[in-house]
Amino acid sequence: MSSISGTNKSSRWSAVRKEIGRAGGALLISLIVTFVIVLLTSKDPLGAFEQLLTQLPQKTRTFGYWIDDVAKLTITGLAFSLVFQARQFSMGVQGQVYIGALAATYVALSPLGASWAGIPLGIAAAMLAGAVYGFLPGIAKAKLGANEIVSSLMLNYVAIELCNFLVRTNLPKPQAGVLTTNDFPDSAVFPMLVDKTRIDLGLILAIVAVLVVWFAVYRTSWGLKLRLVGHNARFAEYSGIKSTFIMVSAMTASGALGGLLGSMFVQGQTYGKLTVLFEGNLAFEGILVAIVARSRPLAVPIVALFYGYLRQGAQLMNIRTDVPAEVIGVVTAIIILLVSSSYSLAFLKRLFRRGVATAPTPAAAAGAAK
Amino acid sequence: MTELFLTVFSAAFFVTIIRTTTPLLLATMGGLVADLSGALNVALEGMMLIGCLTAVIVSVYAPWYVAVGAGLGAGALLGLVMAFFSFRLKADIILVGFAINILAAGGTVFALALATGGDKGTSINLQSKAVPSVDLSFLDAIPGVGPVLTAFLSGHSVLSWIAAFIVFAVWYFLFRTPWGLWLRGVGEYPAAPEAAGIPVNKVRTWSLIVSGALAGLGGAQLAMFNYVGFTRDMTAGRGFIALGAVLLGARHPVGALIAALLFGAFEALAVVMPGLFNEAPAELIRMIPFIVTIAALILFSVRAQRALALRGVK
Repeated sequence: MSSISGTNKSSRWSAVRKEIGRAGGALLISLIVTFVIVLLTSKDPLGAFEQLLTQLPQKTRTFGYWIDDVAKLTITGLAFSLVFQARQFSMGVQGQVYIGALAATYVALSPLGASWAGIPLGIAAAMLAGAVYGFLPGIAKAKLGANEIVSSLMLNYVAIELCNFLVRTNLPKPQAGVLTTNDFPDSAVFPMLVDKTRIDLGLILAIVAVLVVWFAVYRTSWGLKLRLVGHNARFAEYSGIKSTFIMVSAMTASGALGGLLGSMFVQGQTYGKLTVLFEGNLAFEGILVAIVARSRPLAVPIVALFYGYLRQGAQLMNIRTDVPAEVIGVVTAIIILLVSSSYSLAFLKRLFRRGVATAPTPAAAAGAAK
Repeated sequence: MTELFLTVFSAAFFVTIIRTTTPLLLATMGGLVADLSGALNVALEGMMLIGCLTAVIVSVYAPWYVAVGAGLGAGALLGLVMAFFSFRLKADIILVGFAINILAAGGTVFALALATGGDKGTSINLQSKAVPSVDLSFLDAIPGVGPVLTAFLSGHSVLSWIAAFIVFAVWYFLFRTPWGLWLRGVGEYPAAPEAAGIPVNKVRTWSLIVSGALAGLGGAQLAMFNYVGFTRDMTAGRGFIALGAVLLGARHPVGALIAALLFGAFEALAVVMPGLFNEAPAELIRMIPFIVTIAALILFSVRAQRALALRGVK
């Protein structure tokens, strides 16, 4: 996932160009596949694609949906980037979101939530809860050797069921039987930044998070150790780095980001309350964002901008045409498959000639963009 | 409380356990085959889900056995896709697995909306078929134990019997055939079989195909017997529970069978409890398999580490 960037500036730029080319190529291929699917299934394929690709910035309201989605995608992308940098495939962001949201909800619905402390305390509680939830699979892996992929996936379901249970039984509800809590007091809901949109404090939190994660990974000794461990854990261990400590701390920090995302969901303008299954599988979209951004914190928001556009464009297409929004899952899957593999046009050609599979040359990979 | 005991020790509850276990067991066997070949199949969930939908849609137009075959085929195809991207195109197998899960979550809803003309929740307006259950009521004729045997053995899905056979087949394949030895060798230490001329990636590709086929078969059981019809996200984490069952079962077919039965029993409990008590925390009961899996994961990792330490390997 990670790579230690060379000092040579021109080589770094050519690497960046190569990555952009591969990502753009993957996006193009996935859009073509989606277009073929829409063409085969829709009565008005061109209209559907117009909705998907051009309508989002036309209205302030839909523009707000986009930016709100970008903020959330950025946070989940950062959370996955941190663990991928350490080469840990912890998939626990979803669970951290639910646990963080629960913590934020308990703060917001307590007397503290009605005071000025509602927002900062809610965020802090959510991040703390998320950090603990990220720490658990980390420590289980470091001390006991438990596979972090399986344990973090299990913790996701535990968190979802816990959230369902507490919403149904314990948390105050407007009426019996509904699976949502009371609305939070205004002092616990993030203020709007742009009037009559969903753009709220979450956007600022996302920008701050990008800068903090970038600084931590590229400008601190912890970050250097993190990248070394991700690159070659054994080498890092030999050079005196406590690789287990680095792994666990990366997973804990990633958990704090997941918890923050939980607070952004329930305290944001979109909800302002806790609803069961509020997260709608957004957390796992961070995998795509992190992979395409090559786990670079500064690239994460850029990828999130593009991907959020597609996601929200798909929602518009869903409402206004006969194409369901879920078709975007095809785009996501194809992009992940292509970007995480060593695909290139030259490779595809060779494949059709049934040639021998070898790693493609960098030049061939760069050619994939065209 | 007595009501609960009466329910739990009844033949009907046993039949419920077998019903809830079967999809899980098939997916667990799929996970086991992939895991032993060294390819962790995190896409079981997505493969099951796509198996469910394929089986439901095909069963509208074809007999039930064709639909079951289609579910199996869809899973196998996904296994092939997974193998292609991870071995041919050198993508990380975990990421490929999640790509398939994401494809399944979105793709099944999309295909469902197309098949039903806009309904994104369920396939309720599709006339899908069910897998028939095996009627063994002739066992009644046996004096003495006949009625008991009938109560326990009759009324299971055809696929439950097939699943029981598959456990035996997987065990026989893994421990009594040369290919099973290859597969375990590839998972244990790929360099050695590679040096011995065994095509490592080919073995892994086949194990992923079989793994997908079994998960797809599990999906067919889920959508054509446990529930008749498709609901979005109807697998609800069963693919991941299956991954846990593989580990809890100490990566052995019989152990995996016991683990799958245990998880199936918890699911059956979560099904019957709300009918008995008004305030039964079904959510907390559904949580149990996940927590047990984590505990088992830690337990077996500790044991494995201790075994390594005993052999003097760091």
